Amino acid sequence: MKTVINVSLSGHPKTFQLEEDAYKALQAYLDRARARLSRDPDHEEVLRDLEQSIGEKLGKSLRGDDRVVSRKEVEVVLEEIGAVNTGNGEAAAETTPFDRPRRFCRIDEGKWFFGVCQGLSAYSDIAVEWVRVIFIIGTFFTGGALILVYLLLAFVLPQVRDRREYDASLRTRAGTA
Amino acid sequence: MDPDKFNTLRKGFLEFLILSIVSSGRVYVADLMQRLSKTDFATQEGTLYPLLSKMRREQLLDYEWQESDTGPPRKYYKLAATGRKQLAEFREYWKSLTGLIEELGKPS
Repeated sequence: MKTVINVSLSGHPKTFQLEEDAYKALQAYLDRARARLSRDPDHEEVLRDLEQSIGEKLGKSLRGDDRVVSRKEVEVVLEEIGAVNTGNGEAAAETTPFDRPRRFCRIDEGKWFFGVCQGLSAYSDIAVEWVRVIFIIGTFFTGGALILVYLLLAFVLPQVRDRREYDASLRTRAGTA
Repeated sequence: MDPDKFNTLRKGFLEFLILSIVSSGRVYVADLMQRLSKTDFATQEGTLYPLLSKMRREQLLDYEWQESDTGPPRKYYKLAATGRKQLAEFREYWKSLTGLIEELGKPS
């Protein structure tokens, strides 16, 4: 059995049926495009343009048939569209959220108690509200043990003033590494 | 020829070529690519879309949506006032530049 994934592309009323592999290839392309466009203020619009183009080309390749799109077909289309090129050192902008420099610390700006959740939020790129919700729920489930973890972290983690200082500290670390 | 040197030159020129093509009337991205495809400046959507979006931000270009028979509405680009001005300046500069290169190339 083969998994088929329904995909809707920006601007196209019709949904495309993609083989799982084809879907993965498309997803990888769009993720990469998003990372490269991270500094473009209109990145959402450019991504929509690209999606629309991909849809148009896939539509042409299907010639009106209602069949499943193969990985090969997606690859041909993506090859034709080419990697997103912003023309200004995208290699630097390409650091994905997973391999960017990061460190554990407490952040004073916007803190409730010791800024541990702010620090975790900066570390993980998860909104601080979510980090707090997770912490509060976790505290209930662990019968309060998470409060001890919180206090321990408050004690051991280094402290910075705000996100700007946090980012600056990452840069200096990256520079000296 | 050193291809890298020419690549840098080409990158800088692409923007003016786009202005030039758009100045001839409203165009859709596929038209742009087709006009460029037979030249030394053939390019792909992955390069073109970010560039067009930047040029629109700089108010060189503007676009409007137009229904298409074959799919979703398309963006048709046209020259904005700043773009028209910049293209005129570029054409002037280009003329003086080629003149200069000719001039300097002559044995003195």
